[in-house]
Amino acid sequence: MSWRVGADIGGTFTDLVAISDEGALRTKKVSSSTGDYGRAIVEGLAMLFDEAGFAAGEVEEVLHATTVASNAILEHKGARTGLITTEGFRDVLEIRTLRMPRLYDLRWEKPAPLVPRHLRLGVTERVNHRGEVEIPLDEAGARAAVEALLREGVEAIAVCLLHSYANPAHERRIGAIIAELAPDLPVSLSVDVLPEMKEYERSSTTVINSYIGPVLGRYLNALIGDLQGGGLRAPLLLMQSSGGLMPAAEAARLPVHVVESGPAAGVIGAQALARRAGLPRVISFDMGGTTAKAGVIEEYEVARAGEYSVGAGIMVGSRLLSGAGYQLKVPSIDLAEVGAGGGSLIWLDAAGAPQVGPESAGALPGPVCYGRGNTQPTVTDANVVLGYLNPRHLVGGALPIDAAASRAAIAGKIAVPLGLAPEEAAHGAHLIAASNMIRAIKAVSSERGRDPRGFALVAFGGNGPLFAAGMAEALGMRQVVIPPSAGVFSAVGLLASDVEVHLSRSWRRPVQGLDPAALEAASAALVEEARSRLAAQGFPAARIAVQRAATLRYQGQSFELQVGFGAGDGPDVLAERFGAEHERTYGHRAGADEPVEVVALQVLGRGLPERPRMPDRLSPGATPPPEPARPAYFGRAHGWLETPVLARAALAAPQAGPLIIEEYDCTCLVPPGAVAALDGFGNITIELGVASA
Amino acid sequence: MAARDYDPIEFELFKNAIFSIADEMALTVHRTTYSAVLKDNMDYSTAFCDAGGRLVAQGLTLPSHLGSIPEALAAVIRRYGEDMQEGDIFVLNDPFEGGMHLPDIFLFQPIFVDGERVAIAATICHHTDVGGRVPGSNASDSTEIYQEGLRIPPLKLYERGRPNPTLHMMIERNVRVPVKVFGDLRAQLAACTIAERAFKELVARYGREMTQLYMDELLDYAERLTRAALLDLPDGEWRFEDHIDDDGVDVGKPIPLRVRVEKRGDRMVVDWTGTSPQVKGAINNTFSYTRSAAYCGIRSVLPTNIPNNEGYFRAIEVIAPRGTLAHGVLPAACAARGLTGFRMVDCLFGALAQMLPERVGAAGDGGNIGVSIGGYTPERTPFIYVDFTCSAWGGRPFADGCDGNSHMFANMASPSIEVTEAEQPIQITRYEFLPDTMGAGQYRGGAPFCREYRFLEAEGVLQVRADRRAFLPFGLQGGGAGAPSMNWLTREGKTEPLPSKFCITLRHGDLFRLEVPGGGGWGDPLARDPALVLRDARNGLVSLHAARLDYGVVITPGWAVDREATEVLRAERRAGRGPLPAITRERAA
Repeated sequence: MSWRVGADIGGTFTDLVAISDEGALRTKKVSSSTGDYGRAIVEGLAMLFDEAGFAAGEVEEVLHATTVASNAILEHKGARTGLITTEGFRDVLEIRTLRMPRLYDLRWEKPAPLVPRHLRLGVTERVNHRGEVEIPLDEAGARAAVEALLREGVEAIAVCLLHSYANPAHERRIGAIIAELAPDLPVSLSVDVLPEMKEYERSSTTVINSYIGPVLGRYLNALIGDLQGGGLRAPLLLMQSSGGLMPAAEAARLPVHVVESGPAAGVIGAQALARRAGLPRVISFDMGGTTAKAGVIEEYEVARAGEYSVGAGIMVGSRLLSGAGYQLKVPSIDLAEVGAGGGSLIWLDAAGAPQVGPESAGALPGPVCYGRGNTQPTVTDANVVLGYLNPRHLVGGALPIDAAASRAAIAGKIAVPLGLAPEEAAHGAHLIAASNMIRAIKAVSSERGRDPRGFALVAFGGNGPLFAAGMAEALGMRQVVIPPSAGVFSAVGLLASDVEVHLSRSWRRPVQGLDPAALEAASAALVEEARSRLAAQGFPAARIAVQRAATLRYQGQSFELQVGFGAGDGPDVLAERFGAEHERTYGHRAGADEPVEVVALQVLGRGLPERPRMPDRLSPGATPPPEPARPAYFGRAHGWLETPVLARAALAAPQAGPLIIEEYDCTCLVPPGAVAALDGFGNITIELGVASA
Repeated sequence: MAARDYDPIEFELFKNAIFSIADEMALTVHRTTYSAVLKDNMDYSTAFCDAGGRLVAQGLTLPSHLGSIPEALAAVIRRYGEDMQEGDIFVLNDPFEGGMHLPDIFLFQPIFVDGERVAIAATICHHTDVGGRVPGSNASDSTEIYQEGLRIPPLKLYERGRPNPTLHMMIERNVRVPVKVFGDLRAQLAACTIAERAFKELVARYGREMTQLYMDELLDYAERLTRAALLDLPDGEWRFEDHIDDDGVDVGKPIPLRVRVEKRGDRMVVDWTGTSPQVKGAINNTFSYTRSAAYCGIRSVLPTNIPNNEGYFRAIEVIAPRGTLAHGVLPAACAARGLTGFRMVDCLFGALAQMLPERVGAAGDGGNIGVSIGGYTPERTPFIYVDFTCSAWGGRPFADGCDGNSHMFANMASPSIEVTEAEQPIQITRYEFLPDTMGAGQYRGGAPFCREYRFLEAEGVLQVRADRRAFLPFGLQGGGAGAPSMNWLTREGKTEPLPSKFCITLRHGDLFRLEVPGGGGWGDPLARDPALVLRDARNGLVSLHAARLDYGVVITPGWAVDREATEVLRAERRAGRGPLPAITRERAA
């Protein structure tokens, strides 16, 4: 038997999953080893091999999602980086967009630039937006700048000159000068990292590539060494923020693509599930201890965003307020994140209104019921009071629970001041947490012109399956799907992904009067590059698939929409698809004579596996039989109901709620009025009645 | 706490839902707008009012629109009363009947359920151009409203779902870039459509009666939070005075701003009596804008969780006599009144800094500087480039002022240089921080920047609205004033200074250089951590000379602080100076 292994490192836990080619699914949750992340993987895998009864030699691929790169940014522990810019523009990186993420906050501090001003040097040169050289590169000045940075002891250099996407000659020349003066120094040219217009976004992205490169490189080398020491010689691939995989060597060269790898993996897992189960439209919902994230899958394709910010924090009320964190313009899975998780604190504001989050008790001290010193109730405490969570222990008995402490905290801090019974207050907190998370779902659906009622909700993460049915009902959604091993599903998702290459180029042309041959030539060049990169990774031509896309807008608009097109599709097709997409997203389109322009071209290349990556049906290991039933509270309408507690396998025949399905890594709640069953792939499906609103 | 006859949980859910709709409206405008000024500067707002016109929920967008909607909607209701039908959409921009300045076009859509008006959706957008004598419609040197562009009283843009053709044609003929204006009006309409659909869902879920009750409660709730927060602030009365250099018409004639803040128990008064009479130049505020400035300043010292609605306003009384800069009357020109609004927020912060010395800092750069470049190509195609920019916060009692950051009153973004160059006949040749311009202090003022624009078309009009050339950003508790703003023009190799507010004809190859003022400093510069002085010196923001002169810090050629020499120098400085001023006001020659 051969196995594929997924390892997802989170802040608190490292999740490990192994799937055999016959569909056996084995999981392991171990504490993350801060500072030496690879150790938890190697040790956890050894335990997993042991328990599941296979050897390292049977593993054919290791797939990995890591927070190493994002932590280096957040903790300012990246490489000492120098930046070379066009003379007069060295502060673009620090000035950013001037925008603040919070209003009315006198204590606001801008994030410190990843390259301090004295390591940012300007060089005399100028290229205009048409790519014409207006001022030739001052070679001596460039050499002096590189030498000055080397004297400062930089470990990496980023180069970002104005309009280099239109003509990279000066950037390339500076790259050559660096290579000559310091042959081993990692260099990121903006034209290689992000050949697109907008100097701030390109500078920030290029600098991040330089800043995290040496850190990620060291980490990957150490990890590969550790894995080999454990007898694991299988190739190591990393998850990109876009949801595609990338070989470790490629990730070391373009680390900017693997910054947000963990959250992407869960959505890719949901996409694989959607394809198998025949659900073309799915909203993925991933809720852990501190945050909840929603993503959208439409016609079996994940929605992607062109940019995001690391450390921007959670969406507090509004997605409008940008300016936080460190901006990256790379393809990523479009996720909306809110600060709601099992650890979110329940509190009363100054006017006495109940609130949930965004402050969290975190993993330590954690909820009141963990007995580690926290006294302010959390969402998990509410779920304990409501009887949804096991009142004695979680994680298969590894985590003891003090239900009385939860109840006392909810009663004292929330219920008494509000004049409610403890279970009423707990139920209220559960609903408020759900309504906060509903904003994340709306952000990826109704705010994008998509009606959530036409989607199924695929819920995972340690807490997702507890809230999914209630949220779906509130949104008028009809179907919820809970995959096997939902608590470690992001690691499962790693195993479902393909190798991907995303390419993008600024290419501004009016659509009206556009020469079809020019469009074809420009996009064919990108296709060719994607093919050659995948070929270099060992994919034969027959196992390479490419998709073309373009971003367009009405001339004068400052926001673009992406549409796909095929080889041979001309400008008319682009204009028509853009109009339709504009109508779908915003509810209106301009007249046919309104000028439309192409802003950029993209190509997504996929390296396809020789056989399906995921077996059709997953068989998780057996879980110990839980207690038969316990009382659970379902709001004033239902009150306390004696609720059966089942293992997943017991749903072989459909059963009506209320039900609780208890598993090693998570608990799933089926409210009254819903019906749960198992589909042919091991998923729990929950059907909801038609909602009242 | 008020008695409740409703479910507190359901109320919280309702509150989430209605603010989520206001934000969804704002996102719709954001995504579908045509103009960069709208998108990058977020110069728009969206909100819900109840059927009677009370502001229930405003999205988190432009602070300077906070408080403008009730006045505008009141003008519509005064004129139309019950003559509002399903499918009507009202429009206005007249500053003397509900508006703020002409580029801000308000759209209101009443929402009906079973034939009864249940709410009114509102959007405001700053439009690229509404006609008048200068492209961009924001000249600071107009002297009466009639020069500033198309003035729209409260009218029906749509009547029972049908467009009003007369009004559409009037707008189309009176603006320079009708494609952009109608594109942005479409964005506003799209936001209203979304609001209507979502609000009807809300009513279907909660019922009409509970919806109204919850909207009432949302106002009371905001008021309770505000009053609870005000109770925690000290009682008393504080005054502050500052000056705008001039209005650009009566050049060199200072314009006083005077504010009195009174806080008693759970209420607050912001009184602008004593502020200059209204001026000739286009910097006169409507009363609504003066209120926005007060609401923004006070929100900044209150907890952040107070909902944005009329309940918050109830605890704050704003006074501004008619016929003053703070409350202009016909025919006051007001297109560039943004300047006055920013400076009123700063002036109010000056008073609040006395009330809350541990929270509020020195003056920043005075808010955004407006740069408009417009004209026609030889083929008579119009171009308009509008850039509002600012950079520096004042030093704070706990930290330096932010460098390269928007003013509190308008959370704006700078346009991309590469995009500007691709779309406009302009080349940006420099955009970087200016050394030795920040007010010195234990916590120094924020760093300003310069921006240089080279003009590439044959001919055009450059119009600039800057200030803080004469009256510099003030420092507090011994902190120094920030450096003044400057404008320069280089033509045919000769560089000359320009006034702070002007409108000139540009020719091909002209280079305009803008220098933003520096933030004022907070606290004794000799008490600044020498390591921070070293950091700034290393980064080229503070020269070695200024490190010695302003901070008494001696830095060695190897980039280290010479501790001994620094102590000696600082001791000398302390001995040789008088007591530190509480407020450092400087007036440049």
